[in-house]
Amino acid sequence: MKFLRVLVLVPYFLLASFPLFWLGLTSLKSYEDSISNTVKFVPSAEAAAPNSVRFQASFEAYRSLAQPVAGTPNNFYQYLGNSVIVGVVSTLLAVVLGTLCAYGFSRFRIPGSKDWLFFILSTRFLPPLGVVVPVLMMYRSMRLENTHLGLVVLYTGFNLSLAVWLMKGFIDDIPRAFEEAAWMDGYSRLQTFWRVVLPEAATGMAVTAVFCLIAAWNEYGFAMTLNNYEATTVPVYFAGLQGNIKGVPWPQIGAGMVVFVAPIVLFTVLVRRHLLRGVTFGTVKG
Amino acid sequence: MHQGPDRSPLLKWGFVGPALVLLTALNVFPLLFNIYLSFTNTDLSGGVVEGVGMANYTRLLTESRYVDAITTTALFVACSVMAELVLGFVLALALRDRMPGKPLVLTVLLIPMMLCPVVMSLFWNLILNGQYGALNQLLAAVGLPEPAWLTDDDLKLTSILMVDIWMWTPFMMLISLAGLNAIPKHIYEAAEIDRASRWRVFRTITLPLCAPLLGLAVLLRATDALKQFDLVMAITGPNDMTTQTLSARLYQVVFRDYKVGLGAAYGVVILVAVILGATIFVRHIERIKRQQGAQL
Repeated sequence: MKFLRVLVLVPYFLLASFPLFWLGLTSLKSYEDSISNTVKFVPSAEAAAPNSVRFQASFEAYRSLAQPVAGTPNNFYQYLGNSVIVGVVSTLLAVVLGTLCAYGFSRFRIPGSKDWLFFILSTRFLPPLGVVVPVLMMYRSMRLENTHLGLVVLYTGFNLSLAVWLMKGFIDDIPRAFEEAAWMDGYSRLQTFWRVVLPEAATGMAVTAVFCLIAAWNEYGFAMTLNNYEATTVPVYFAGLQGNIKGVPWPQIGAGMVVFVAPIVLFTVLVRRHLLRGVTFGTVKG
Repeated sequence: MHQGPDRSPLLKWGFVGPALVLLTALNVFPLLFNIYLSFTNTDLSGGVVEGVGMANYTRLLTESRYVDAITTTALFVACSVMAELVLGFVLALALRDRMPGKPLVLTVLLIPMMLCPVVMSLFWNLILNGQYGALNQLLAAVGLPEPAWLTDDDLKLTSILMVDIWMWTPFMMLISLAGLNAIPKHIYEAAEIDRASRWRVFRTITLPLCAPLLGLAVLLRATDALKQFDLVMAITGPNDMTTQTLSARLYQVVFRDYKVGLGAAYGVVILVAVILGATIFVRHIERIKRQQGAQL
């Protein structure tokens, strides 16, 4: 049994982590080395022969992120800035609205609450491409096309269902006795929410925020179809480089991807205990 | 349930109202608008908008690209979900027991599903490239043939599937692990006393007890795979005959041909498929919740 386990895990682990490993290596290469006909996987300090497995590692690609790649108007950091603005603002909004809504459904008797909750969940299943046409036309008439605000509103809506369901799970777990004790002391509903429930729900809010941020950070369909220039996020920027006339600048793309993906890897490690909840809308608590 | 102080309806709707209003505005309205558009000849390049009745739907049904897109999407959903389920479950079985370094291994394995699909599949283009890609160089090193992953019509969909499987197997693994961990130890102890064979234990205890959660995972993945767009865009582009999923087809129709009306009709088709999947999903979690005895 132990042998079988190793036989499954070791090859899969190597295969699954290879793209990440390769991404890191590519970001340290020169353009020629990145598309060399020999597999170059040993970084070295000095120049290596073209047919050697060694390559000269440098941080040149990271430095070049500050320069626009041929054919794009801005440098990488401007697109990263767009991703950060859209991601952070929409996440904050989704967590605030989601927490309020989840508290309401958790602690009040709301007529049709079950139907409302399933309506909220069902919005998450909507295919972006299925509603992108009307959204685009709405945005054109409201001049929200190509704006940060337009994406923020969409992402808030997109993440809200996840935020409500995750927060409902977390708030349901907070013992009601805490609130009842506060009422005895004469706290009002809002005071209880603010001073008793919110501190207890803080971890849940942080976890929810991470999942919302990742979803907004990774989104591509809406970001591409609603933006041509002003608020272009990193995924759209990279996808646009594909047809680059000078050949795809792999080391720069690799370096940009490392910068773009690193925070997500960090967040994944931070919320690893809550991953199960996050990907199942809080229905499986693990 | 103790209702607490201040039971005014204003307060409770104040809590839930803003979210409900935003969700309605962003979902219900575009949905209805989309259905309306699908009965018109709206064109992104301008022109007079007129109702055209069912014309978009009849056109869609007679388009061979439509049938191809449905076939491609169905094939993609079936292959990716099945492969991810089997692989994910096998990995979960292997990772089930305690072993040194397990938290680290688990975390590394889970990373791909958190990363940006379009960005990571763009990078896969470098790995899969026929001439200088790392995969073919490895295959050549062990004397295997070097297929043209990205340009051979017979292999493009396989390449996209490979990336999807890389990305989403961890999801199946994670949920399978939860299912396995939830099986009470004493059931296995009882089976041991009965001297049940390993295979019998697996077939009569492990698999059936994991099934509800695996069903949940399959439904989540399937509704997601139905919308497949990002990987197709990054690996072959939206207008490739062999990999054009419904979402890619819709993109092509609306944003390259400017036929909004027809695109909206495609949107309705995708919606119906997703709603079917989502309805089953909702029923399923209701059942799971009932089994767990939790209140919704």
